[in-house]
Amino acid sequence: MSTSLLRGFVYKRKSSVLHRLDPRTKAIILISAVALIFTSVKVSFLLLLLFVSMFLAYVGRVLREWLHSLKSVFLFSIFIFVMNYLTVYNDKLLYSLLMALRFILLTSFFSIFFLTTNPDDFAQALLKVGVPYEYTLTFTMAIRFVPTLARDIQLIIDSQRSRGLELEKGNIITKVKNYIPILIPLMILEIRRSIMIAEALEARAFGAVRKRTFYRELHLSRIDIIIMTCTLVTVALILLLKPQWF
Amino acid sequence: MNSVIYFRDVSFKYSNSEQFALKDINLNINKGEFVLITGPSGCGKSTLCRIINGLIPHFYGGTLTGEAIVLGYDVSRTPTYVLARYVGMVFQNPENQLFLSSVEKELAFGLENLSIPKPEIEKRVQEVAQLMNIETLLDKAPYELSGGQQQKVAIASVLVMYPKILVLDEPTSNLDPRSAMEIIDLIFRLNKKFGITVIIIEHRLELVLEKTTRLIFINKGRIIYDGDPRKILKKEDIDELEFYLPKSVKLYRDLKRIGIELPDVPLSPSELATVLRGELKRRRLLK
Repeated sequence: MSTSLLRGFVYKRKSSVLHRLDPRTKAIILISAVALIFTSVKVSFLLLLLFVSMFLAYVGRVLREWLHSLKSVFLFSIFIFVMNYLTVYNDKLLYSLLMALRFILLTSFFSIFFLTTNPDDFAQALLKVGVPYEYTLTFTMAIRFVPTLARDIQLIIDSQRSRGLELEKGNIITKVKNYIPILIPLMILEIRRSIMIAEALEARAFGAVRKRTFYRELHLSRIDIIIMTCTLVTVALILLLKPQWF
Repeated sequence: MNSVIYFRDVSFKYSNSEQFALKDINLNINKGEFVLITGPSGCGKSTLCRIINGLIPHFYGGTLTGEAIVLGYDVSRTPTYVLARYVGMVFQNPENQLFLSSVEKELAFGLENLSIPKPEIEKRVQEVAQLMNIETLLDKAPYELSGGQQQKVAIASVLVMYPKILVLDEPTSNLDPRSAMEIIDLIFRLNKKFGITVIIIEHRLELVLEKTTRLIFINKGRIIYDGDPRKILKKEDIDELEFYLPKSVKLYRDLKRIGIELPDVPLSPSELATVLRGELKRRRLLK
């Protein structure tokens, strides 16, 4: 379940207009969308945003993954709807519907952002806005080692199972306890791996000089600037004028 | 002076251990040598390699005594990032050496850290990619590659720094026989073409022996044998090496035991074939 949810958020290397945009541009679109999602009080406007996000997913050629992420949060949004419906007094239906829709929309925009943004570019963008390199490298490495970690976990589960460990047995508490023989070897394995990675970093002169070169840097293209400006102007206008349909 | 590595009475003890990992090591390695280090697991060969690029004593805590000089630098006073420029270190598991999302970034990483200007980085990345025959992989993510390709990238990622010494700690142990052979051939070419001094730890002697100019056997933290592999393998009493010997060397020694002495120790099957043919001719058993 957890890995299947991830599928709607993991970067897909493809070639599309959205993939080629600078991550900062996409971040602006994302932040603008979030601002609109939380300030709008019209179901129709939120539905329009949903169409916008579907259009973006189509342009970014990640329609299937996008749908997948929406499907995996669908049940939870119904839960949000019901909870709101039971606890709110005024405008029950409208309010609950808004909350559920907001949740779906957030998932939708974030999913598109991560589906079309190379984690590396994202790290580069963080660097550009002033995050120190040590942190952005940590971020890149964390993402890089996800598949390795997944494989390690599977390896340990397999070997513990072959020694008779039953993971699915018992009530919730025993089930959690069952995972201890997985977690301890995993921690040891990953600590050892991290030492080896640190060695390799050292051996490649990491931290040699304070001002390192950046071989590939991000550059905002003209299209980036146009899209950024258009988005910001549109959103600012909507937020300032607060039209009827908003 | 041609000496690139000079150890005098070097001993090392890890901080969490009572025993010496290395004891009284005396070693002098010259430029362009192809040195094969072998010995049982935990004998200290990895420790020795880590002293050469300063990971010991700077990354791993412990007490290093004696004199360890690498390319004129006193290891105990030189940080790893200075030595990293001259000593390229390749580890056993390629996966843990590649931590970025594309091969190109992986190659540029060391140079970026040294603050080399961009045009120079570009030049060297292209050059080394061509040399290692990985140009087509530049855009790929390292974890999409096969083990052999990954190890090539790992070697390339230190080669861009134009190292004078290449230290490889069991570089083929995670590879299939074919990729292992490819990697060894490549390392040998680097040694021949650019005169890079190679120090390689390897258990499967038959892979490397033929190309080796010097064999070092370590056991329990001490150097047991050090010298020309042919001379060492001719010796009567090398019991400790017994389990490491390639088949061709074993055959040579077995023949000797029953009174047939071949003129030279064959280090590979093809050498064995040549030596046998010569011997058979000499005895007029073959035209």
